[in-house]
Amino acid sequence: MNQVAHVDATGRAVRASTRPVTSVPSSLRRERTIKLVLRSLVLGFTGIVVLFPLYWMLVTAFDPPTLSYSAKISLVPTKLTFAAFAQLLREYPFITWMWNTLFVGLASTLAAVVVGTLSAYSLSRMRYPGRGVLSGLFFLAYLFPSTLLIVPVFVILSSLNLTDNYFGLVASYMIFTVPFCTWMLKAYLAGIPPELEEAALVDGATRIQAMLKIILPLAAPGVAAATIFAFTLSWNEYLYAFMLMTDSDKMTLSPGMTKLVFGDIFLWGMIMAGATMMSLPVLVLYFIAQRFVVSGLTAGSVKG
Amino acid sequence: MALRTTTVPAVPAVPARRLRLPRDAALGYAMLAPAGLLLVVLVGYPMIVAFTMSLQRKLIGAPVAPFIGLDNYVTVLSDPTFWIAMRNVLVFAGVSVGVKLVLGTAVALTLNEAMPMRGVIRSIVIIPWALPTLVTVLIWMWMYSDIGGVFNHILMGVGAIDEPLLFLGHPVLAMVSVIIVNIWRGFPFFSVTLLAGLQTIGAELYDAAKVDGAGIWARFRHVTLPGLAPVMAVVTLLSTIFTLNDFAIIWLLTRGGPGNATDVLSTLTYKVAIRGLELGKGVAISVLMLPLLLVLIVLLTRFINKREETA
Repeated sequence: MNQVAHVDATGRAVRASTRPVTSVPSSLRRERTIKLVLRSLVLGFTGIVVLFPLYWMLVTAFDPPTLSYSAKISLVPTKLTFAAFAQLLREYPFITWMWNTLFVGLASTLAAVVVGTLSAYSLSRMRYPGRGVLSGLFFLAYLFPSTLLIVPVFVILSSLNLTDNYFGLVASYMIFTVPFCTWMLKAYLAGIPPELEEAALVDGATRIQAMLKIILPLAAPGVAAATIFAFTLSWNEYLYAFMLMTDSDKMTLSPGMTKLVFGDIFLWGMIMAGATMMSLPVLVLYFIAQRFVVSGLTAGSVKG
Repeated sequence: MALRTTTVPAVPAVPARRLRLPRDAALGYAMLAPAGLLLVVLVGYPMIVAFTMSLQRKLIGAPVAPFIGLDNYVTVLSDPTFWIAMRNVLVFAGVSVGVKLVLGTAVALTLNEAMPMRGVIRSIVIIPWALPTLVTVLIWMWMYSDIGGVFNHILMGVGAIDEPLLFLGHPVLAMVSVIIVNIWRGFPFFSVTLLAGLQTIGAELYDAAKVDGAGIWARFRHVTLPGLAPVMAVVTLLSTIFTLNDFAIIWLLTRGGPGNATDVLSTLTYKVAIRGLELGKGVAISVLMLPLLLVLIVLLTRFINKREETA
């Protein structure tokens, strides 16, 4: 609120003061002010829009839980308690859900990063007939709608008795982690000049040695980014988990959390406590690995 | 400055040099094989099963699934609900992607300027995109709530409304509400990618334009926009494809309701195939989305290839 008022005031002041003068320094000053105003507006607006929902999640999670959420609302927390967290952990196997999610996420990510690194190297560095078409097929698989795949995947896994089964869930997550890692690493590898590799080959290294000793270390930030992204995709996944996991003890966080919601009463304190705990690992991961994340994302979509 | 180090040196003449690397088809295929086979099993096979099912009267629990040709498609195409969902998904994706592009560009331009704590601000901007969709949806559902929801509290507090709005219960408002959540979640992707695109536009272009007396708007219009256009095209197409496929946001917030007001093809597929037990008919609905997606994918591939050639 304050920010908007301040910005309005400066905006008006600028227009008034620059009207009579047209010399270069004043037009520069005017431009600088316009930029400042625009920048403050965008930053203020984005800041509020991005942060308020998170703030509200935390306020609700740390407020003392009540049964009726209609009575009193206060925009600032009245008292901080861990009561909602305690209730959640007492009444639901939340920690089990977290371990399950971690396990499924790690399994589908590691498998995808390994096969994805190999296929990305092959698609970006080797020459053979059909490479363009194959590369296109990987891209198609990456963009293929999961809403079309979920029904047949559900039918197939049911017939194999692989619902409520981690193998089935990991396999279905590899539907998106494998093409994703391939695509992202292929873009990253394309940015590494091949001279070093050529030199190694001239010096008598084999293709595999050149890849492992020369290219892989250079591609480490890309591999790190692909790993983080694939893990986040798995951790955050909703549709497959929701369809395939129904046994409460085997559940991952997504279907588990929906169990909290679709009871007859919405215990928002507990739900927001769960939401906080579910978000924390990915947010920590993103902050720690920000450099990799941004450069990896950039490689994936800017250079294509 | 991680961005600069990874994007800029990428450009010089990779294709011409690549020819020097020896041709090694057997190893190439062998390295591609694990991922390729996985995708044949995990994507290719389910896809074939999907197409087959869409030609059958396949019901959950029924032992046989008779072949009925294109009957499912005929039924779906003559069902007004399908066309409502089609219109809804176009509105949903069109508005969401449009706003995400504008907002994302504005944020990217802002973050491209030197300012204190830019790294921190950039991390904050990424948050909505890193957050699990389910968490995002739950937070917004709680804020939209008519019982104790903070939006209603604020609106009533300032006297804008007398009684709580049903954000998710009114046909138009529900569509607006799900679109807002999609935008919130999706604009950081635009910001970060466009920011990377901006950093590849040379400062000398801006200096030249300044010498020619171009103002802020002229520089944006004639330097920034043309430089950014290819990245914009790629991001917009990618986001359109993902937004057209969105399921979780709409399903969790409104279940496609009220009535069919926010039903899109993905929620309708789920309703018909799983809830209605008509697998074949449900799959036919999502197959009918493929032509549109394929057009977008072909366009996207072209843009990306063009960028690779010019790079």
